[in-house]
Amino acid sequence: MGLVRTAMVGAVVRREVREIVRNRLLVSSIILPPVLLTAAPIILVALGSKAAPDLPADQVAQLVARHPSWVGLDGRQVVMAYAISQFLATFLILPAYIPLAIASYSIVGEKQTRSLEAVLATPLRTSELLAGKAVAALVPGILASWLAFATLLTLTAVLVAPALLPVITDDAWLAGVLVLGPAVGLISVEAGIIVSSRVNDPRVAQQIGGIVILPILALIVLQGAGGFLVDGPAYLAGAAVLVVIAAGGLRLAVALFGRETILTRWR
Amino acid sequence: MTESVAVRAVGLGRRFGAQWALRGVDLELARGEVFGLLGPNGAGKTTTVRLLSALIAPTEGRAWIDGLDVIADAEAVRARIGVLTETPGLYERLTAVQNLEFFGRLHALAPAVRRERMERLLRLFDLWDRREGLVGTFSKGMKQKLAIARALLHEPSVLFLDEPTAALDPEAAFVVREAIAALKGQGRTIVLCTHNLDEAERLCDRIGFLRTSLLRLDSPSRLRGLAGKAVLEVQLATPSPADLVARVQARPEVRGVEAAGSILDISVDDLTRDTPDLVRTLAGAGAAILGVRTRTASLEDVYFEVMGARPPTDGGPP
Repeated sequence: MGLVRTAMVGAVVRREVREIVRNRLLVSSIILPPVLLTAAPIILVALGSKAAPDLPADQVAQLVARHPSWVGLDGRQVVMAYAISQFLATFLILPAYIPLAIASYSIVGEKQTRSLEAVLATPLRTSELLAGKAVAALVPGILASWLAFATLLTLTAVLVAPALLPVITDDAWLAGVLVLGPAVGLISVEAGIIVSSRVNDPRVAQQIGGIVILPILALIVLQGAGGFLVDGPAYLAGAAVLVVIAAGGLRLAVALFGRETILTRWR
Repeated sequence: MTESVAVRAVGLGRRFGAQWALRGVDLELARGEVFGLLGPNGAGKTTTVRLLSALIAPTEGRAWIDGLDVIADAEAVRARIGVLTETPGLYERLTAVQNLEFFGRLHALAPAVRRERMERLLRLFDLWDRREGLVGTFSKGMKQKLAIARALLHEPSVLFLDEPTAALDPEAAFVVREAIAALKGQGRTIVLCTHNLDEAERLCDRIGFLRTSLLRLDSPSRLRGLAGKAVLEVQLATPSPADLVARVQARPEVRGVEAAGSILDISVDDLTRDTPDLVRTLAGAGAAILGVRTRTASLEDVYFEVMGARPPTDGGPP
């Protein structure tokens, strides 16, 4: 892997983005999940703020003791805080799913149209091609999750339940959305590249690469079933682990993305 | 390597697993030369192009483009070459202009240069009016023309063209052939992989027959001559007398003589060189010559001679 020239990476990113915006299926898979994942907690809070049970004072005290950002919430609001906190994990699905979808379509698409050989016959370095594809896949996923988070914050603060704003801006949420999310996205892009180099159908690549999302789903289920919430330091630790895994995955992705491999083994 | 040599390969070979796709290729192409690479599918033409384009590494041997080693200076080599791949390989969700613009950026062309060349090439290949059309809506021929424009955009010194006119109608094929001739005039070296023998003969200075290794390499006219079918056909007023046949047969340049009635077929190596002398000899011997014409082997004859037997025919479809 040689050094990366930003102009070359920029050219690849520009082309990738132009292709993404013309792929209706891909655009819908970028837009719909954030809309749904933002709407779900908003609707839950809007409906639950009237219907949620009022917890006894001792239980409220117990929960607040474990979550300092919940200080000052009444019994009903604590129930809502607990409910909305379950959605943090779903905000990790966005940076996992969207880059996986983009990377799968991008690479399998190049295999199908056999467009890579002409690209590889230019002075573009493999590292630049890979970086361009990774950026074009990763950034929309991260931006979509951040935009969805910003929307959730705004709607919660202005329209639905201003009292819950400190809950969704505590350490766990910020670490999860701002740090762990991009790390998950990085792993997802690598999974997309690795799997796509071995299959010829983007949907198959997404299904196999979707294995990345399983730990997040497991987290959601375990939190719901176990009555606990993962805190900020745990999310940061998770991000650190993912970055280490990503470094190893990058070597594998680069090996699979070698010029010779693409030209002679990609079928 | 002298500056007049654009492409050089020494003992070039590439193995995939246990199978050699190409072996022992020695090649030297002059600047401005159009070189045709002929051979059946799987003969190693694409592997040769990929090796010379610094796309894959050789298992053995070395190669240079404009004096640059395809391994040590791979990036510089790729900046000097243009490649038209077997399939156009265009981005179908982008417009013609966006496709070219992307490749112009990869070759670090300044925006003004990029724009000027894109317009010139799109106009040359009659795609200017469709420049903002999505490539996915283009016909096969339009895609092929755009792919050729893409290969020419950075004005490479060496151009590898794999079946450039395969998908084109006669008019577009003519434009491409004219473009190839113009590029040759500009001193660009062109390696043309084709199955179209007529096209190879019309465009190429030299032709190489490839099947894992280079089996034969020469100019089209010499290849035809060496195939042993350079024949001077002489129409005489009367049946050929035996002494006339013997006199012609005795000349050193003559490979064989067949007399059938008043027709005399004289096989030689080089018709251009030998015809005047032979006609003088016949006239000097008192032969009453009514007419003279030349017959040579076609490149197809040469192809089948080099590659092996011509496939059997059953008289064609009913």
